[in-house]
Amino acid sequence: MSRIARHFNPAFVVAAAILILALPHIAANEYELRLITLLLIYAIIALGLNVLVGLTGLVSLGQAGLYAIGAYTAAIFATRLGVGLVPGLILGMALAGAFGVLLAYPTVRVRGVYLAVVTIAFGIIVENVAIEWDSLTGSWVGISNVPAPTLLGLPLDTNAYFIVVGASALIAFLVNLNLMNSRFGRAMRATAQSEIASRSLGINVAAIRTLAFVVSAMAAGAAGVFYVYLNKYISPDIFSFADSVRFLLMVILGGSGTALGPVVGASIMTYLPEYLQAFGPWQSFAYGLLLLAVMFILPRGIVGSIEVLVSSRMAEARPETGHEERPRLADIVAVNPADGSACLDARGVSVAFGGLVAVDKVDETVDSGKIHALIGPNGAGKSTFLNAISGVYRADSGSITFLGQETTRLNSHQLARLGLARTFQNTELFSEMTVLENVLVAFHKEYRSNFFSTICRLPSFQRDERHFRQAAMALLAYVGLSAYAHEKAENLAFGHQRQLEIARALALSPRLLLLDEPAAGLTHTEIENLIALVRDLAASGITILIVEHHVELIMEISDHVTVLDYGELIASGSASEVQTDPKVIEAYFGSQTFGDGPAPAAGIESGEG
Amino acid sequence: MSAALQYFLAGLGIGGIYALVAIGFHIMWSSAKAVNFAHGDTLMLGAVLTIVFLDHGIAMPLAILLSIGVAIVFGVLLERVAIRPFADHAASIGWMLTTIAIGIMLESYATIEFGAFARPLPSPGVDKPIIIFGAGVFIQELLIPFVAVLIVVLLGLFQRRTQLGRAMRAVAFNRVAAGIVGINVLHVAMFSFALASALGGLAGILVAPVIQASATMGLLLGIKGFAVAIIGGITSAPGVVIAGLLYGIIEKFVDGYISTAAREAVGFSLVIVVLMLFPQGLFGRRELVKV
Amino acid sequence: MSKFSISAAIGGAAVFATAIAIGTGPVNAAEANPCIGNSGPVTGPAAFGGKSIRMGAEMAVDEINAAGGVLGKKLKFLQYDARGAPPRGVDNVRRIGLKDNCVAMLGGYHSTVALAMRDPIHEIKIVYVGVIAANTKVIENGRNPNYMFRVSAKDRWVSKFLVAEALKRSPNNKVGIMYENTGWGKGAYPNIQAALREQGTKEVGAETFNWRDTDMTPQLIRLRKAGAESLVMWGLDREGNQIMRSLQKIGWNPVKIGAWGFAGNLGELAGKLANCALIMQTYSWMGKLEPQAQKLYDTMKKRYGVKSQKDIRMGSGVADAYDAIHIIAKAIGIAGSYDRQKVYEAMFKVKHKGLVMNYDPAFERTEERHDAILPSAYKLTAWYNGELLPVSQTPCK
Repeated sequence: MSRIARHFNPAFVVAAAILILALPHIAANEYELRLITLLLIYAIIALGLNVLVGLTGLVSLGQAGLYAIGAYTAAIFATRLGVGLVPGLILGMALAGAFGVLLAYPTVRVRGVYLAVVTIAFGIIVENVAIEWDSLTGSWVGISNVPAPTLLGLPLDTNAYFIVVGASALIAFLVNLNLMNSRFGRAMRATAQSEIASRSLGINVAAIRTLAFVVSAMAAGAAGVFYVYLNKYISPDIFSFADSVRFLLMVILGGSGTALGPVVGASIMTYLPEYLQAFGPWQSFAYGLLLLAVMFILPRGIVGSIEVLVSSRMAEARPETGHEERPRLADIVAVNPADGSACLDARGVSVAFGGLVAVDKVDETVDSGKIHALIGPNGAGKSTFLNAISGVYRADSGSITFLGQETTRLNSHQLARLGLARTFQNTELFSEMTVLENVLVAFHKEYRSNFFSTICRLPSFQRDERHFRQAAMALLAYVGLSAYAHEKAENLAFGHQRQLEIARALALSPRLLLLDEPAAGLTHTEIENLIALVRDLAASGITILIVEHHVELIMEISDHVTVLDYGELIASGSASEVQTDPKVIEAYFGSQTFGDGPAPAAGIESGEG
Repeated sequence: MSAALQYFLAGLGIGGIYALVAIGFHIMWSSAKAVNFAHGDTLMLGAVLTIVFLDHGIAMPLAILLSIGVAIVFGVLLERVAIRPFADHAASIGWMLTTIAIGIMLESYATIEFGAFARPLPSPGVDKPIIIFGAGVFIQELLIPFVAVLIVVLLGLFQRRTQLGRAMRAVAFNRVAAGIVGINVLHVAMFSFALASALGGLAGILVAPVIQASATMGLLLGIKGFAVAIIGGITSAPGVVIAGLLYGIIEKFVDGYISTAAREAVGFSLVIVVLMLFPQGLFGRRELVKV
Repeated sequence: MSKFSISAAIGGAAVFATAIAIGTGPVNAAEANPCIGNSGPVTGPAAFGGKSIRMGAEMAVDEINAAGGVLGKKLKFLQYDARGAPPRGVDNVRRIGLKDNCVAMLGGYHSTVALAMRDPIHEIKIVYVGVIAANTKVIENGRNPNYMFRVSAKDRWVSKFLVAEALKRSPNNKVGIMYENTGWGKGAYPNIQAALREQGTKEVGAETFNWRDTDMTPQLIRLRKAGAESLVMWGLDREGNQIMRSLQKIGWNPVKIGAWGFAGNLGELAGKLANCALIMQTYSWMGKLEPQAQKLYDTMKKRYGVKSQKDIRMGSGVADAYDAIHIIAKAIGIAGSYDRQKVYEAMFKVKHKGLVMNYDPAFERTEERHDAILPSAYKLTAWYNGELLPVSQTPCK
């Protein structure tokens, strides 16, 4: 996944173009040329599906339905109105894309295997409509007499048509490649790996998924249109559930999430039936066996497995962490000097799960530029409160105001865009992406270049990409991770993972940073570093709300401490005030019996700050 | 009136079939958060093998037992080979494709060995229809939904009263926590697949007298049974049975009052609508995101 | 080596491997190769249809080759799987015509596949001889020259045949239609309607059913309400069985007359419920066989694992394919060349005494007579206690 091509390579395009132009002359006969055309059509659908499955992590078992929509649109317009190839393509892709939007809508609420059922149902509905809407689709008899394709009024013979399809497949390949290596591709992979972290970085997950569905649907639609003009005949039989499985298999077999995998998978799946014919009645058995073998031997697919093999051989020695000078945060991202006003104001916030009230009418004000701590025994509702103000959960009652704006009903990605950033108790990194990419994801909303200029690699995209790569590298230097920029996030040591989460959150130029137990699992030295980092953040003007069990840390850095117990606010004041509050002592030692000696959390009294 | 009753009874029979398939999906899902996508072929295995054993002169009760035995072995092997190695991956593509692959192989092999023709499985339940207010129905068709309901009741008792059953419930609720308290999660998964396959084989034998046994009988049953399990809420056994029965009855009424042609489009549109309104299915348990 | 060039190398290798893989196969020549192709169901629920064609065709090819082949060359029979999907049939035509460069081809089981193949067959100009699929428009397609021939039933003729038999048994001429919702059933429906019009009447109702439907009571209730006395049925055994059971459920016993899709194992599936269901066929391997048929039956027992006469599924397909290959071989002989155009012309000159009937001549130059088997060769049989017998051998009327 991480080993994808990063740079647009003109030599490859030229080589591919020469091959496409030469193939009609190399091909032994018309049948062979048609087969290669079919291969390229399958490559288009597989490349599109790769965006959905490989990048966005959504499984579609209804791709044949979208393929059918493109095919029937072109066939109906061509046979009834004599529409040519290009308008047919536009219509087919537009309609398939529209259905892509419809299909994406359930992903807002429906997940995983449930989503697979939605796509299966969609495929079956399309097949059923194609069978039953006799007057339009010709039912089982299908649509024949499709005229020869025309381009700008000129009829295309088999050779010319092959070149048109070849060029289109090349374009599809480049779109896939450029998409993959762009903020959109990164956002897609991010939503696949951690939806919740993506939201917290301001990514509109529903919009990104819709984009992925539309791209894959349009590719399927285009493939359907090309198929109609190749075969000059369609019927419902080739748009069945088994065909959706076949398309998915192309992506998996070649290597899902890789640039070339879909093309390789499509090649194999096009030629395979030709050779399987030799098995007579056993051919579907052989097909099943092959499918099983691929899943076992090459779970990452052919290209994916090769890339893993090659990259592990090329793996360089781990870089040494040099002691770098911490750059000034204000030089990297926009920071606003604190003005002393209330940054966050929560009034009477309650969150309940079923009958259990996790947070009960909590009032909390966080002043800007201050370090504010939230403590309490396990199960006191600290994380729930944090989730409520960051939009992960919705408060059942009460109101939340952020920077003077009522935000009670906002989603976490909307809050992130307002400048509320956070880290997670159990780190939520995009573990399959590199350290640098993790930070780049957070810059998603800052890019000015749009989808079109991104895909076409226009100068505005190049400018943005260069700028934010530099900014991301600087942020890594700020937290001391620049040596690991190209390392996979999951390979980082735990302490480094926590630092990366902070760097990622900083990319949002936050006004308020929520740290959920940032010291958990850190070594003593790492905690020292963390304290220095948090102080520097506050000094740069970022307001901090920190949930932590580590009392020394709290006492050392907090300007203000709030204590929760059983979902209720029991104390609030300066560190030294709460330390001596009887209610707090009661909460930590009170009625609970720990047996002999003080509980581990009893460090409350031994504060050194 | 008698037409409506006829549709209702016929729908109950067909819905019972979907319910039986869906229970298998429920059991597998609860233990492994993965299912045999080709569970329909387990039904085929039960039905086809029973006929093959009968052909070899084995008596009916023994033939049924033997077929269910083979189905159990199949389920255990499938869990070991096609599910377990792929259960760790968050993306569910792995086990979907491996089980589909095994389904393709099974169906293909059965077509070659058993033949492509459908064959009858004799049963006293389909000798003569009984007539209720002018609507005819075979005993077998009423038996199927009855057995589906019975299985849910027995499954519920089993899961409450026995050690193994309670372990199943614990694993269904939280795999990791169940493992921590000392439940052998892998054994539970194996047992669940064995149970699901046994019930699948039994279901195949029960439905074959009505729909006939053939190598390809499983495909559509599997897809519909899975869809039904999902809209019923795959975490709830009573939920999937209720959804199955309702789906069958709705299908027959669409057949009767709208048109045979509209059946699949209406049925599967309903599936999508239900999932949009109830993302966890009608009776499913909502899973909370925790960070 | 940059990461991209690795991917590029893999891709380049894949694309070039593909390019090399295509470097085989002969170039189109005036003389075609001595092979006869077939596209039919080899896998899937209709695989028995593909097998029946293969048995008939291979037995004929073996006989011809044993006698020295045609024009000194041994014939070859190539079968490709269409699995009932028309687009795959279209692919197969191109493979047979362009890559294998065969002299002629048979066509398979499904009517939808046969209909779809008309276009590529006329592009390539290769003789097609259908051996099972009976849809009228496969052959009567308005093209001239018309490369589509058939040694099988024709739905239009079958419809007339069945409607006449149905009306004989319906005192008030009230006929209902039950047809499967497939290309075959939908193609036959207008033929049945036309046959009824010709007899001065019309159907009281027409209902459809899908493959794998398990209950047909709604459709049958509607037909009974419309007053049908007899049912003309178009479908296959599995669904035929459900019709029989649904009839029993609603307590109705009209006259049942069906096309040859019910000639497989309806009697086995429905048992006594199928008794006196009347079925049209072109050929039957049941009962006592003529010496030539007996010889073929023995070969099937030896080579194809056939154990009894009942094991010959879609027996008409075996006989049709067997006759079709002999007719094609004779046409090549008359043409004196493997040139496809000459073989096409020679098809009209073939006379052949075959298994199904005496083809004299096999084809004529009218569109209607691109069908070799004439209605006079159609047989009406009846299911009785699990066996499909000539009506005269049963108590049925």
